[in-house]
Amino acid sequence: MPVLKGKELRIVGFLCNWCSYGGADTAGVGRFNQPTDLRIIRVPCSGRIDPLFIMKTLMNGADGVLVSGCHPRDCHYAEGNFYARRRLEVLHRFLPILGFEPGRFEYTWVSASEGQRWQQVVTRFTEQIHKLGPAPKIAGPEASATLRQMEAVL
Amino acid sequence: MAKVQFIKSADVKPWLAELAKEHRVFAPSYDGEALLFRPFDPEQEIVLDRAATMPPKKTIFPQSEKLVDFTYSKDPENLSRIKIDAKANLPEGSTVVFGSRPCDARGFTMFDRVYLSDKNPDIYYQARRKNTLFITLACRTIENTCFCNWVDSDPCDPTGSDVLAIPVNDGYLLESVSEQGEKLLNSKLLADGSSRRAEAEKICQEIAGSINNTKDLTLAPEKLLAVFDNMEFWEEVSAKCLSCGACTYLCPSCYCFNITDETTGMKGKRLRSWDNCMSAQFTMEASGHNPRPTKAHRLKNRVGHKFSYYPTIHGGVISCCGCGRCIKSCPAGIDIREIVLKAIDFVPAAVEE
Amino acid sequence: MKYQQELKDSIRKALPGLDVVIAWSAGYDPLHATPHFIRREEDIDRLEIGPFSVHNLATYLPGLRGKKVGIVVKGCDSRSVIELLQENLINREDVTIFGFPCTGVVDQTKIRKALGHTGKVDFCQIASQTVVIGAGGEEHKLRLSKVLADKCFSCQYPNALISDHFVGEKISPSAQTEGGDDLEAFENMPLPERFAFWQKEMDRCIRCYACRNACPMCVCRDHCLAESRDPHWLSQEDSVRDKWMFQLIHAYHLAGRCTECGECQRACPMDIPLLLLKKKMNKEIKELFQYEAGVDPEATPPLLSFKMEEENIKEREW
Repeated sequence: MPVLKGKELRIVGFLCNWCSYGGADTAGVGRFNQPTDLRIIRVPCSGRIDPLFIMKTLMNGADGVLVSGCHPRDCHYAEGNFYARRRLEVLHRFLPILGFEPGRFEYTWVSASEGQRWQQVVTRFTEQIHKLGPAPKIAGPEASATLRQMEAVL
Repeated sequence: MAKVQFIKSADVKPWLAELAKEHRVFAPSYDGEALLFRPFDPEQEIVLDRAATMPPKKTIFPQSEKLVDFTYSKDPENLSRIKIDAKANLPEGSTVVFGSRPCDARGFTMFDRVYLSDKNPDIYYQARRKNTLFITLACRTIENTCFCNWVDSDPCDPTGSDVLAIPVNDGYLLESVSEQGEKLLNSKLLADGSSRRAEAEKICQEIAGSINNTKDLTLAPEKLLAVFDNMEFWEEVSAKCLSCGACTYLCPSCYCFNITDETTGMKGKRLRSWDNCMSAQFTMEASGHNPRPTKAHRLKNRVGHKFSYYPTIHGGVISCCGCGRCIKSCPAGIDIREIVLKAIDFVPAAVEE
Repeated sequence: MKYQQELKDSIRKALPGLDVVIAWSAGYDPLHATPHFIRREEDIDRLEIGPFSVHNLATYLPGLRGKKVGIVVKGCDSRSVIELLQENLINREDVTIFGFPCTGVVDQTKIRKALGHTGKVDFCQIASQTVVIGAGGEEHKLRLSKVLADKCFSCQYPNALISDHFVGEKISPSAQTEGGDDLEAFENMPLPERFAFWQKEMDRCIRCYACRNACPMCVCRDHCLAESRDPHWLSQEDSVRDKWMFQLIHAYHLAGRCTECGECQRACPMDIPLLLLKKKMNKEIKELFQYEAGVDPEATPPLLSFKMEEENIKEREW
């Protein structure tokens, strides 16, 4: 059940396999209540995340994108998240030129043991997206049709 | 006998508004700094004194069109069997393009020979072609890049149009070219224009006289074939080519396309989208072999196709309408006229004994 | 152009040791130049440099790898050469660079806008700050500054930053204030307007990829993501979303590499203001990492490196 009342929005999360995905798992095992708007995509490392994944997600109509990886200095691959940090920060600053609110995308670090922290991150981010409301959709008949098609598949 | 009408400049918009009740109407107006054929909007200024950045090619040959919708479904009796339901998406409705230039309208006649052959007509093209009418505007000014006179045309050429509009001082003389065009000329806003004919003819003559000196291209087909294997020649003329598709996509007579099936889950669509022979992928084969591996090969194809191979198959008609957009919009300033003339004038170096 | 003769002499001397020298010559009308590939002595005479030398010839260098190439560069073009050197896409010993002091190049779109409809262009004379264009039987007088490319107003590198032969006297960067700033104005627009702006602008894209192919730093050439079917990043539909997405791919693949030469925007036959995206990217890169592309061939691009503690990236309180 959604923690937040009202319409569920579409939030996509890119989580690294070693820390944040584990953290989300810990939150689940601990039965911490979380909003259900987030759909998680597991990636090997936050360094694997091409900023264009996030861009593409937003362009295709997602209302928010959350990226989470290991804390800096804790990367399973030693330095993946250091590179990620630079790329993601650039993206965060770049998005407003396109007309996307900067708050639609956030990145953060959650370790595998931080179930509680994961709960906080998800809840806060979901609240933030709900405050912003549904993202502006790109005009054209095809955009909404594709979205419906994707929904049918999911 | 062609129907001849006259319309005052101020009545053009109201007339288009009338036509828009029955047809989709396209007219040139600015979008940013590009002059494009856009759906007629009474609020928007129509710009008729210059050639559009982009020919009205999309009206008959869309940049991308959905040919077929298809759905996969599994047979519940035999799950390994997959059924496909396909539905063709034939274009409907009629379109009027106002303000195309003679070169623009003539461009589609190059398409016709390919897409409307008796043996194998393209039904999508056919449906749009039949229902798209061109009210073509004869040119009053000539640009440096214009060379319609080199390819058997002129600034008042009605070929491919349904109505030819010749700008006279206070308006336009409208001459029907096709039967369908004649039906467009029944509005109350139009008056009989027979008395203005002489004036219009004089204007056409004046313009024809102001265009660049014509060049004789009769030898182009054989001369281009003669340099076919001379890669040094092609490497030289293509050196500055960037391999982009600006020339082909802005060309009123380039008609190549690509087919892509895009599927999401069990549903999909078959798309036909513009393709261009300047792209390395154009001839890329599944094996990885590419018969036209360099830009020299590719530019050779573009020039060769227009000025040699096409005329050889289609009774000597050059597949170029001389609009000059490929010259004007080329980011590297390649001049196709220069290449053709160079090929015609090319004298192979004497082979030393 | 003052130093034209000197440049020709310099090329004449170097030509015997080179396969080709890339420069400019007169184009199809008096308002256009075109890239000029000099292979023989007699080709040198047609060389012309001046305000119409708009093309960034560095774009051709990676394609000529393995040949001995001479290239004439403006200050901005030289930054692309540096960037190509930095990325090992060209070999320094194969490239001979001819520099000259550039006083700015025109923006063809501005000229077209200033003249309205011209018809045939007969001549163009540029004397000090005035451009006189004979077109359609009339003489149009324009101030040079009215038709100069935006990038020239904030140009910090009018002389080639790297060259083997430099003709003429080096000049100092233009005194005009930084910017000329369309980016700043754009960033003052409310977000929904920006979103709408891009949709409107991208709508007329014809996917010719002139922006990509004219870009000296777009080096994937025939293996671009835009045309890949697997992964299928972009649909073949004629949709704003896919056209816009391509520009983001382009901007992102140029993050920390773009030298703002503006070729993407100049090449666009539809006049889409693409440079705006790159300017924004560069601004953020500069703020975050104090880095500017194409200045130092030995530098490491910011997105290929990191610091344990980033001075300018604040940890969010998430």
